[in-house]
Amino acid sequence: MSLRQTMPENDKLLQKGPLTLSRRDFFSRFGDGLHGAALAWLLGSDLFSANPSLAFSSEEGRAVYDLKSRSPHFSAKAKSVIQLFMNGGPSQVDLFDPKPTLNKFAGSAPSRDIVNEIEFANEVGSLLPSSFKYSKHGKSGIEVSELMPYLADCVDDITLIRSMYGEHFNHEPALYLMHSGRTLPGRPSLGSWVIYGLGSENQNLPAYIVLDDPKGLPINSIQNWQSGWLPPVYQGTRFRSEGLPLLNLKPREELPAPLVEAQRALLQRMDESHRQKHPGQPDLDARIANYELAARMQITATDALDLSQESEQTKEMYGLNQEITASYGRRCLMARRLVERGVRFVQIFIEGQIWDAHSDLENSLRYSCGKTDKPAAALLKDLKQRGLLGSTLVIWGGEFGRMPLSQVRDNTGSAGRDHNPSGFSIWMAGGGVKGGMVLGATDDLGHKAVESRVSVHDFHATILHLLGMNYRDLVYQRHGLNERLTDQFPARVVSEMLA
Amino acid sequence: MPPPKLLYEYAVRPPTTTEVETLRKWIAAGANPAPLDLAARDEASDPLVSDSARQFWSFQPPKRPEIPQVQHQDQVRNPVDAFLLQKLEAKNLSFSTQAERLTLMRRCYLDLIGIPPEPAHYGERWAQFWLNAAGYSDSEGLIDEDLIRPNAWRYRDYVIRSLNNDKPYDRFLTEQIAGDELVDFKKVKQATPEIIDKLAATGFLRMVPDGTYSTGNASVPERFNVVADEIEVLSSSVLGLTMGCARCHDHKYDPIPQRDYYRLSAILQTAYDPYDWMTPAWNNPYDLKFPTRHLDIALDSEREAAARFNAPIEAEIKQLEASAKEKAKPLREKVLDERLAALPQSVRDDLKIVASTADEKRSELQKYLAEKFQETLKITNEDLAKRFPDFKLEVENSKKGTDGLKKKLQPKPQIRALFDMGGEPSAAYLLRRGNAQTPGELVQPGVPSVLKAGLITPKSNHESSGRRLALARWLVQPNHPLTARVMVNRIWMHHFGKGLVASPSNFGRTGVPPSHPELLDWLATEFVQRSWSMKAMHRLMMTSTAYRQSSRFDPAVHQADPDNLFLSRMPLRRMDAEALYDSVLEISGRLDLTQYGPPTDVEVNPEGEVIAKGSNKGWRRSIYVLQRRKTPVTMMEVFDLPPMAPNCIERRQSTVPTQALQMMNSEVLREHSRYLSGRLIDEFAEDRDKQIERLYFRALSRRPTPEETKVAKEGLLELEKQWGSHLGNTKHEAPKLPTARWFALAGLCQSVLSSADFLYID
Repeated sequence: MSLRQTMPENDKLLQKGPLTLSRRDFFSRFGDGLHGAALAWLLGSDLFSANPSLAFSSEEGRAVYDLKSRSPHFSAKAKSVIQLFMNGGPSQVDLFDPKPTLNKFAGSAPSRDIVNEIEFANEVGSLLPSSFKYSKHGKSGIEVSELMPYLADCVDDITLIRSMYGEHFNHEPALYLMHSGRTLPGRPSLGSWVIYGLGSENQNLPAYIVLDDPKGLPINSIQNWQSGWLPPVYQGTRFRSEGLPLLNLKPREELPAPLVEAQRALLQRMDESHRQKHPGQPDLDARIANYELAARMQITATDALDLSQESEQTKEMYGLNQEITASYGRRCLMARRLVERGVRFVQIFIEGQIWDAHSDLENSLRYSCGKTDKPAAALLKDLKQRGLLGSTLVIWGGEFGRMPLSQVRDNTGSAGRDHNPSGFSIWMAGGGVKGGMVLGATDDLGHKAVESRVSVHDFHATILHLLGMNYRDLVYQRHGLNERLTDQFPARVVSEMLA
Repeated sequence: MPPPKLLYEYAVRPPTTTEVETLRKWIAAGANPAPLDLAARDEASDPLVSDSARQFWSFQPPKRPEIPQVQHQDQVRNPVDAFLLQKLEAKNLSFSTQAERLTLMRRCYLDLIGIPPEPAHYGERWAQFWLNAAGYSDSEGLIDEDLIRPNAWRYRDYVIRSLNNDKPYDRFLTEQIAGDELVDFKKVKQATPEIIDKLAATGFLRMVPDGTYSTGNASVPERFNVVADEIEVLSSSVLGLTMGCARCHDHKYDPIPQRDYYRLSAILQTAYDPYDWMTPAWNNPYDLKFPTRHLDIALDSEREAAARFNAPIEAEIKQLEASAKEKAKPLREKVLDERLAALPQSVRDDLKIVASTADEKRSELQKYLAEKFQETLKITNEDLAKRFPDFKLEVENSKKGTDGLKKKLQPKPQIRALFDMGGEPSAAYLLRRGNAQTPGELVQPGVPSVLKAGLITPKSNHESSGRRLALARWLVQPNHPLTARVMVNRIWMHHFGKGLVASPSNFGRTGVPPSHPELLDWLATEFVQRSWSMKAMHRLMMTSTAYRQSSRFDPAVHQADPDNLFLSRMPLRRMDAEALYDSVLEISGRLDLTQYGPPTDVEVNPEGEVIAKGSNKGWRRSIYVLQRRKTPVTMMEVFDLPPMAPNCIERRQSTVPTQALQMMNSEVLREHSRYLSGRLIDEFAEDRDKQIERLYFRALSRRPTPEETKVAKEGLLELEKQWGSHLGNTKHEAPKLPTARWFALAGLCQSVLSSADFLYID
């Protein structure tokens, strides 16, 4: 049974005050302007406009922003997203995109046009074929390299896009682009747009949760999940997979329950009396509700991430019993538990730059695949066997791919590959995505996407579409302008991959 | 193709096949430079901007309106009230009753000073708003390294000092846009505080994220991005226009053709030239072949102080390096011998002599040999490390030592300024679709055509183009349609929670029309008449009946003015992140009021919270804490401290559970509460009533009501009981009863500091 249906409804708040407020009304609200919108809401005006392009109330030009679950523009299979973000730039020619032609030209100098796109122009080597074997898998016969034996078992559930392309060869701008549609900081991330559009189905947990690697934040750190100029309520919340899930979820020195209760009761009495003296201020109600929610989250968040409740078999499947896979496996398993509870958008990041193989390509890829392949495949299988894959969109990929050339640093160590934004591979599964499909192709060397090219804007438009939202209509008014995830860039929904 | 190493150092991409082809054809055709007729294409008035477009209200100069006559003349303290009452009376409304004196006092202090009643630090409070508009940050941002800007604080100090001195806004703006063109800084022999001030002021246009100090992020398109962000800062904070829309195409709603965008950006080109770049980083960490965009101008006293501070550290570094070199010497000789062994005897001896002779003492022949056998003679530390594993460790340790010491060095006292580079600026082009790779027609520097009236022709002066000075003089004309309106609107916004124009950075067609257009114009003209004095504006607004009314909610009034559009009451406002942070410190008695100077560093506590470092004087105000993009102070971040990308004119406020977690569980809050509790006990020993009264007075600027005292006392009793039994069960060494009392009172303090009463301003 999915936990989505089992949200507790007992709430003292329902009996407090003259209004019928439910907890989800309270969860996290945001008033644009000081109180006007909140007042409008308090007086019972309809929050949702009939216009599907703006799912927010708008009274005298102000809107209320919250995390209530909202209907999409059209019905869709995907209800939630798990993005396995492979920061660093996985090498497509070694993982997903076999290029026999490279063998023929091994060792020859690259063309000027390839060199033009290279970050370290002073370290350019020669064309470098992959040293990993490819073989066909599943009914679909998709070719995957030997580095991904577990994913190979799941190829009939994925659409492999071999024709992604970006705009920038450096990590920071490429990450901004991948997460927010522009190569600059400051814009809302994909996850923020999704929860802005759809809200959340669990008001006891944040709607957009980021599980970052305990070994350290990715490049661009917290800016990867920022809400930009969207209201802060749409920002991703970082859950730590070790120790306390949330910053200050508990105090440094844990105190016995009656003491904590006495402290809380005192504040509650003070706030209640302040509220009595300030009628007509819904911000104050929201605040009181938030304190209660914060207290509840000490239980809900801890419970959601408590893996001891999982069976030994499940833990084994995710690789929790092996050192190399344990850390990533934990986060994949946590992602499943969060999605089960109705969390809308979960992102998993990985330590530093493990895909960023500028040197020592072979060992570095063995390490990164060893760490992630088994858990990622387990996530697909687990979601599938629980009947959740249909409603969960899983996305695997990084901010760019790598060059089909060698990169040679200081004439020491073994070669690596430099960044390549012109053509790279990602895959998606579940949530209305076709299984066993390969989309698009790069040129014979694996450098540039040439067939069925998919831009980052196309990628974003397609994700929104899978969630039932039209990328043109999901807009936010800013400075009087309609802003959208794809900005003013041309975008298309990649309909070939829709089931 | 140019050598890859040079391409890398100049951050230039190698040319593509097509580009090479174009160049080849051009050379074959005689390599004649294209004629640059700069003026030819620049019409005096842009044909794309019609006269009717100029009629829009915000493009017309403000007109001084008559002060309206109202029925409740008794409520008119100054003309602000007359304008507001006119609209209220039309709705059969009037102002709410006057707020209680203590409420009003707290409101004024938190508004103007940003901490509850006590010291006067207006500049530090209002500088924060201006610094947000400028996008102030102590780090470069954009790339992960987020390099620190060790000299940005001079601009911060300039702003604080200017506001404290009530520097007229026209001067304030002129100095920030063109301070370098006001002084002949290139000929300065002896820096004076005044010169430094004017140059530091130009930091205004040096604050946006800038990653062009690193090789991979310094290509021409990225340089244009920096300029575009500065245009965004300038247009959103000063002009109140969404100029950025016209970067890629003509503005869709406002009469701003794309050409106007590039005209404005051409004004900056004599300082920010994408075709002749300077690196933003003071220390040029990537060794790019650009000069750095800093001025080596400082007071002698400051230079001396830095030198004095650095001298012992530098000596220590030198010593470490010398000793490392000494240790390496025999190893080096050994490696050389090994290498030379492979060579014929005759060469061997000569080379040995060459190796032991200093570069400048070598004869011609020796120089020749040195070059010829470069590879053999050059023995790097890495070579030694490879050959001698023990030495590797040695090298690493010594490097760790020197690196650590280098971090302690005070950076060179420099000014992070924007300055005219002198000489002939490169041509400016309209960039098709905003793309640096597709330049279109040439453009001349200029201001938006729709506002062109009154533009002064730039005069070059002190080898400076005068372009920015002309821009500044144009902006501060008394009848400029936007400058005064935009600024008084923002002052109003910070006092009343919302601007008269509710979209403070968009006065264009898609912005929100003013709720009180006459009042806005009256204030704008008044601002100019009072010599652009910002303090005069505060006085005017804060002494109005409108500002002094209570925030009481009246259902009947609410029906008539649901959004409080007419200001029928004062809105209840939440403290912003900085006011909250500063106030908690001030109330707990740990605020270090030291002004100015380099920012205080931050650190991460065991829970993972980013906190400011304290000293024996306490913790400094938020404005003096290092504002590094990747490490915002957690407590402020949770309460909606905005990221500077590139700036922030209007803040968003959220009410989310992480705020509750912060106030309930953060060790920082708990620690401050215990400190405050200790102070109250020191002051009043066991007298609970007095302790409670003092706590309320400090935190809320008022006495507690009898009911509140009762609640507080009951809470204290319960907490004391619980602490008593908890301490009884643990191995706490301190005497149990006093400790229980201390912690219980700390619990009450924390409750007050977390309460809505504290967080919201009536």
